[in-house]
Amino acid sequence: MNGSLQLPERPSRTPGGTPTRSESPQRAVQAGDDVLRVDGIAKTFSIPGRWPWSPKRDVYAVNDVSFSIAPGEVIALVGQSGSGKTTVSRMVLGLEPPTRGKILVEGRRWDNLSERERRPLRVRYQYVPQDALSALDPQQTALEHVIESLTVLGGQDRSDAQPKAIAMLERLGLGQRINALPREMSGGEQRRVTLARVFALHPKLVVADEPTSGLDPDRQDSVLEDLIENLPPESGCILVTHEMSQARRWCHRGLVMLEGRVIEEIRFPDGQPQHPYSRMLFDPWGQHDFAMSTAF
Amino acid sequence: MSEPAIVLSLQDLCVRTPERTLVDGVSFEVRQGKVTAVVGHSGSGKSLSARAAMGVLDVDPGLVRGTLRYPGVSQRDWFDGVRGSGMNAQRRLLAETSTLRGGYVTYSPQSASSALNPGRTVGRQLEMAIARREKAPPDVGRAVVEVLGEVGLPPRAAYALPRELSGGMAQRAALAIAIAPHPRVLIADEPETGLDPVLRRVVTELMLEVARGHGCGLILISHNMETVDRVADDVVRIGNTGSPVAANA
Repeated sequence: MNGSLQLPERPSRTPGGTPTRSESPQRAVQAGDDVLRVDGIAKTFSIPGRWPWSPKRDVYAVNDVSFSIAPGEVIALVGQSGSGKTTVSRMVLGLEPPTRGKILVEGRRWDNLSERERRPLRVRYQYVPQDALSALDPQQTALEHVIESLTVLGGQDRSDAQPKAIAMLERLGLGQRINALPREMSGGEQRRVTLARVFALHPKLVVADEPTSGLDPDRQDSVLEDLIENLPPESGCILVTHEMSQARRWCHRGLVMLEGRVIEEIRFPDGQPQHPYSRMLFDPWGQHDFAMSTAF
Repeated sequence: MSEPAIVLSLQDLCVRTPERTLVDGVSFEVRQGKVTAVVGHSGSGKSLSARAAMGVLDVDPGLVRGTLRYPGVSQRDWFDGVRGSGMNAQRRLLAETSTLRGGYVTYSPQSASSALNPGRTVGRQLEMAIARREKAPPDVGRAVVEVLGEVGLPPRAAYALPRELSGGMAQRAALAIAIAPHPRVLIADEPETGLDPVLRRVVTELMLEVARGHGCGLILISHNMETVDRVADDVVRIGNTGSPVAANA
């Protein structure tokens, strides 16, 4: 795999390191076949009974979820904790098999592949974790993380990988931090290393699971800007989030999940939530029936 | 109508390491039943200021300027003899204020899981918190049930270990433990971190209701301006250099 980098021009950063914010952060959706098609997937887990001899019962973590992602499209999976967002994203990445339904990535059936068949394809479908620090090796520098990604997953020679890794880190504003260890970096820098590791592989699909969790609002926007603006133009992205303002600002569509089901699809930036539960998520300080909330 | 009594006063706090100034000139007062929000970016010194308000200073040389008073106890300046005196004086302050922490001032950390002892039931942890009240209740078991009821948990939650609670229930249990000693000041360190928007509102409103019900002043450390604008009586904004940019908005 040659893994040549074909990335869009990135907006310049100000001398202080703060990215300049573009007027309309939404990307252009490209023509072409869907990057991802999810068709009626469900996932059940067996819950043990009260006593060891009690029968187990199945509960649905995800039930009858369908959606697709066009090239260049960014969709948000939104909902409260426990609504099934992370389970959907794990199934899309092939980390959990669906109990029923189909997942097609770039037109090919993906959910019924063996791990042996799936492994060479994983390089194209990448994951940005919630907790950047625990996703990084404490003994590896920023540069070593990206080189490892290119050599182990991308199958490139180390001599080829090094300049590409440096270019990617510079692109993400980490040119001065390539030899820093994770503990020497700020939370925002750690997250940018996890992004550099992903984008160096030129993925077709990126699943970002609450990538801004725990950051203050300014740094959240900066990380999302790094994420969305560095996506290759023809790649799709799933952003798992419970920040509705992020979904509206950065995504083309939002799928609202409640108890494992998609209850509403909202087109951004102008679409308004119609379902009472969606309205509660988008305006939590309004007058709502909090009995709908699944959090307690 | 007279202003509620001041229960904590931190004035002109300045803390340094050999390399840089961490906070410089931060001041706030906490009044009975009122909310003082401390806002700023990550690393601006919010949590450091809150810890200093509990008498916890653990950097060298540490405290350069500032006064700390708990008017509900005495008019003593707890930083007297600590300013510019290094780590040993700070350790002495830590020892002297140890009887106030967990009683007069309680602290609710960012994540409920770090507030709860994984090896003890919620009820046992509440009993230990109740034991720090100025006046012991006649029936501790009844007091545990009352505190659980205040945060909307059923009495059976007393028998649960923290891992048996859902995320929302763990948040409520952590709040119950913080409020059980009947503190005069409750410090909530970014209580909304990692919570979804609905849970964020529910937890914040519950915290306010319980704190006001006890006449307890609340220091809310946050970077969520939507929450702060809705609930805070006073706002202290700390800039990136550790200096306040505005107070009493």
